[in-house]
Amino acid sequence: MFLINCPFCGEREQSEFKAGGEAHIVRPKQPTELSDDQWAEYLFMRKNIKGIQFERWNHIHGCRKWFNMVRDTSNDEIKAVYKMGEKPPVK
Amino acid sequence: MLNYSNVIQNDKSYPGLQMREIKPVMKLIIRGKKRQFLSAVGKSLNLLLPNEANTSSRSDQLTALWLSPDEWMIFSNEILKTDDNNYNVEKLLNRNICKTNLGAVTDVTDQFVLINLKGDKIFDLFETGSPFNFNDFKSKKGLVTQTILTKIDIIVHNQDINDVNLFVRRSFSDHLFSWMNDSASRL
Repeated sequence: MFLINCPFCGEREQSEFKAGGEAHIVRPKQPTELSDDQWAEYLFMRKNIKGIQFERWNHIHGCRKWFNMVRDTSNDEIKAVYKMGEKPPVK
Repeated sequence: MLNYSNVIQNDKSYPGLQMREIKPVMKLIIRGKKRQFLSAVGKSLNLLLPNEANTSSRSDQLTALWLSPDEWMIFSNEILKTDDNNYNVEKLLNRNICKTNLGAVTDVTDQFVLINLKGDKIFDLFETGSPFNFNDFKSKKGLVTQTILTKIDIIVHNQDINDVNLFVRRSFSDHLFSWMNDSASRL
């Protein structure tokens, strides 16, 4: 359990949120030109690293807005929270 | 209001806590992002929508609750005289908001049940089943929050000190109300 600072509502408890997987995955511009392997890579393959990870989260029991989060998966420390469409404030 | 059976049959009273359903009350959800949307709603209803997160605004007849940056709930302050689903406010907003493509209006009168709680034990009750930190919330009149109570989505409006409105979806209201009664009896 940890606290998440929703960019719209403020600090709330984790149980109000839902994790939405890895952030900043860009859809290929020409999907028809991809091989099945490349398309499967885009659709299904996600990073599951120990360390800094960029993720999408949804405040599902609050404002129901999506936002991005930079989280250290090894200790659940939240490095930054930022709105959709914004650039990550940390690298 | 449509002819739904009343899920909450009786008002309940405990030391420091009274709970009752208030109906019929008109409830609308309005959504929009443009600046013209905010001014059109303001002019139509003579009510400024709250821009600041987790706040509300109030006129003589209506209260607007902030739900998200582009979503508000509007409900009537007084109990309606007629028990039907024809609301002048909704018609007015449909004409000025929907037909001008500024935003959307949804009638949620029958979707949400409004439970009014009074007394100094309201937040003691909430703290038994909600992860939200009510410490600052309870002392500031007009604050709004959406959170979960015993895993059920609720909207809490701190109408006045020791006077709180709670909105819950109709299908969950029976279970929530019985849980609240059970929890209140143990405070």
